[in-house]
Amino acid sequence: MKISVNGEIKEFNEESLTIDKILDILEYKTGIAVALNETFIIKTKYRDTVVKDGDRLDILSPIQGG
Amino acid sequence: MKKWKIEGREFNSRLMIGSALYPSPEIMAQSIKASGSQIVTIALRRQSASSLKDGNSFWDIIRELGVTLLPNTAGCHTAKEAVTTAMMAREIFDVDWIKLEVIGNQYNLQPDPFELVKATKILIDEGFRVLPYMTDDLVLAQKLADLGCTTLMPWGSPIGSGRGLMNPYSLKSIRKQFPDLNLIVDAGIGKPSDAIKAMELGFDGVLLNSAVALAQEPVKMAEAFKYAIIAGRLGFEAGAMEKRDMASPSTPTVGTPFWHQFKK
Repeated sequence: MKISVNGEIKEFNEESLTIDKILDILEYKTGIAVALNETFIIKTKYRDTVVKDGDRLDILSPIQGG
Repeated sequence: MKKWKIEGREFNSRLMIGSALYPSPEIMAQSIKASGSQIVTIALRRQSASSLKDGNSFWDIIRELGVTLLPNTAGCHTAKEAVTTAMMAREIFDVDWIKLEVIGNQYNLQPDPFELVKATKILIDEGFRVLPYMTDDLVLAQKLADLGCTTLMPWGSPIGSGRGLMNPYSLKSIRKQFPDLNLIVDAGIGKPSDAIKAMELGFDGVLLNSAVALAQEPVKMAEAFKYAIIAGRLGFEAGAMEKRDMASPSTPTVGTPFWHQFKK
C-alpha cells in the first residue's frame, strides 16, 4: 500500500497496517501525536486503528510557537 | 502585586511569552527566564523520525524551565484542523487549555471569526478551556463569551507586525463590556510602552513573542517587558488622574514671594 506520512508518500509491502506497526517501522518513539486523515487518534487506539492504501497520516511533535 | 488567576491556575506574572524566533535556544531560555513569565506558548508540527532520533531538544529545554505550557493551533485555517491540532496538543502536553488560532487571511494573519466560533464550540464540548486569538470585535467577543470562554485574546495588531495597539477604542470597549473575563492582548506588541498601554486599559495580561525574540538584545528586552507589565498593571490598579484642559500648579502657591508674582 501507499500512504502519505507527513505529506510524503511511503510504500509498504502490506495491504494494511496498524498505526502501532507503522510508527515502529518508521522508528518513531515518544513525544508524538497522530492524526489519520485529519482526525486525531488517541494513543490507546494505535494498536486497533488500521491504515489502508491512500490514507494520510500526520505525526506531530512539539516545536517553538508564539 | 496580587496573584493573577486565569483558567483555574494562579500566576505571579501577567506576561505570557512565545518560544519562537529567538536567535538560539539558549537565548530563548534566558529570555523566558528574564521575562519572569510563567506561561510559555508552544506549537506542534510534522516532524520526521530521523529529526527526533535523539529526542526533541527544544522540548527538553522548555521542560527544564519549569513553566506552564500553553499550546497553540498556529497555522490552522479551518475549525477541523484547529480541533484536531488541539486534541493532539492535549495528549502531548497533558494540558486542558489551548490558544485557539484559526487564520482567515494570509496577508495579515487575521483570525477567521466564523471558523473560530465553530472550533470553540466543539472544543468546549470536548472539555477544553479555550483561549481564542481573535480580532478586536465586540460581537465576536460576545459570541465567544456566550459559548463559555472565560478568557479572550484580541489582537493589538497583526502577528509579528510590532505595530502596537491599532485600535485602543475597540479594546477599551471589550474591556468595558466584559469586566469579569480575563482579557489578554495577543499579537502586535512591539515595544514595552505598547504593553504598558494594554495594561493601563485594564487588560489582565499580554501575550507576545516577536517583540522580545526579534529585539537587538532579546534577554534585556524580556526584562523590559517584565517591568512594563508590572508598571502598567500597578498604574491601572492605582487609577490615573483625570485629564484637565487647564494647567494647575503642583507646588503650593500660598507664600509665594513677591518676585514670583505675575506682572500686570
